Amino acid sequence: MHGLGELEAAVMNVLWQEQQPLKVREVLDLLETGKKLAYTTVMTVLDNLHRKGWVTRELEGKAYRYEPALSRAEAAARTVRDVLASSGDPEAVLMHFAQSATERESELLRQALPRKKRSSAS
Amino acid sequence: MTVAVSLLIGAALMSWLAPTVLARRVVNGGDPLVAIVAWLTSAAAVALAALGGVVLLLLPNHGFGEPLLAALDNCWSSVQHGTPPSVEAVSGVVGALLLLGLSARLVVGAVGSARRRARRRADQLAVLRIAARRDGETLWLEHGEPLAFSLTGRPGVIVATDGLAKQLTAPQVDAVLAHERAHLTGRHHLIVAIGEAMAGAFPFLPLFKLAPGMLRELVELVADAAAVRECGADAVRSALLKVSRHGAPGTALAMSGTSMDVRVERLLDGPAPASRRRQLFSCGLAGLTAMALPVLVAAGAMFAVVTVACPA
Repeated sequence: MHGLGELEAAVMNVLWQEQQPLKVREVLDLLETGKKLAYTTVMTVLDNLHRKGWVTRELEGKAYRYEPALSRAEAAARTVRDVLASSGDPEAVLMHFAQSATERESELLRQALPRKKRSSAS
Repeated sequence: MTVAVSLLIGAALMSWLAPTVLARRVVNGGDPLVAIVAWLTSAAAVALAALGGVVLLLLPNHGFGEPLLAALDNCWSSVQHGTPPSVEAVSGVVGALLLLGLSARLVVGAVGSARRRARRRADQLAVLRIAARRDGETLWLEHGEPLAFSLTGRPGVIVATDGLAKQLTAPQVDAVLAHERAHLTGRHHLIVAIGEAMAGAFPFLPLFKLAPGMLRELVELVADAAAVRECGADAVRSALLKVSRHGAPGTALAMSGTSMDVRVERLLDGPAPASRRRQLFSCGLAGLTAMALPVLVAAGAMFAVVTVACPA
């Protein structure tokens, strides 16, 4: 499972760097993963990425050409949006460096905070 | 009966008073890690005291109560015989059922939540692995806003944005990463999850109801202290101010008015973080105190009952 995730990341890296639609064979040639991968492995990975919505593909002759569905910056922005949306959620698995505490969360500390300090710190 | 009721009163008093006492201590510069230990052991002590109270109600011969009270024997038995045994039995059974139900709720809630968390973490990690560039233990996202967060798990993951590296100085970035590392090494996500489980199971007692919010704040203070140890208070404070000014759109204002004050205030003129050894000692002391407190309160309550019931 772990290995597959790494491969997906490596393949996306190639697609993002090339900035043009690539065939499976071309992706395979551009991959730098230490050992040589099988053609079918890369094909499976690309198929998975397509299923998950990371890449779009177009049939050209007999083979598909793959292209990132969104740029790396767009993907990052979407991830950040998800993270920010989930902060403050009781079941959030993330801790945010400057988390926006909800009213409920910091109620007690705020009550304990002397009024004078509250106004000077803002 | 008296011992049992006293224990229950001790538990109730503690669960009402401990949150305020701990919050005040932390705001006045108390060690946040000690407060976390005190909070969690207080909760355990309250649960144990309540359990002890119920067990004593159910036991026919009130376990260890008498030897402690040999001196007040006459008075004790008069108080004891004043209550018909059926009341004890009924309240004991009701209490036992209540405790059993609540414990079951705690376990079911915690297990379900742990499962949902694990699934969510896997989803988020899958997206992060692809969207981010890996550099050592940190994942970098190509995004302009300065942000950093840590993702629970083994091993945990630290995620930061390019905006963080661009807009903050190198020492500030180090401080942010040290803060996030402290979350992972201190198992802070687990602590907060425990707090959520507590609040889910016993939402009517302040010590439990306020646990998630309070523990969330406390782990931030603990992580800040760890970052201060590594990078100095100035770096942590300036990083915090820079990052919080951006933050989530719309909530930036709420943020600056709440816990951020406590964090910034502490970094401005709070006490220097205690040494590890001292911290360990204080934590042990706090834990012991929290454990002993319901029993002491119970003893006090019992003494009061006995005094009122039998004017010498």
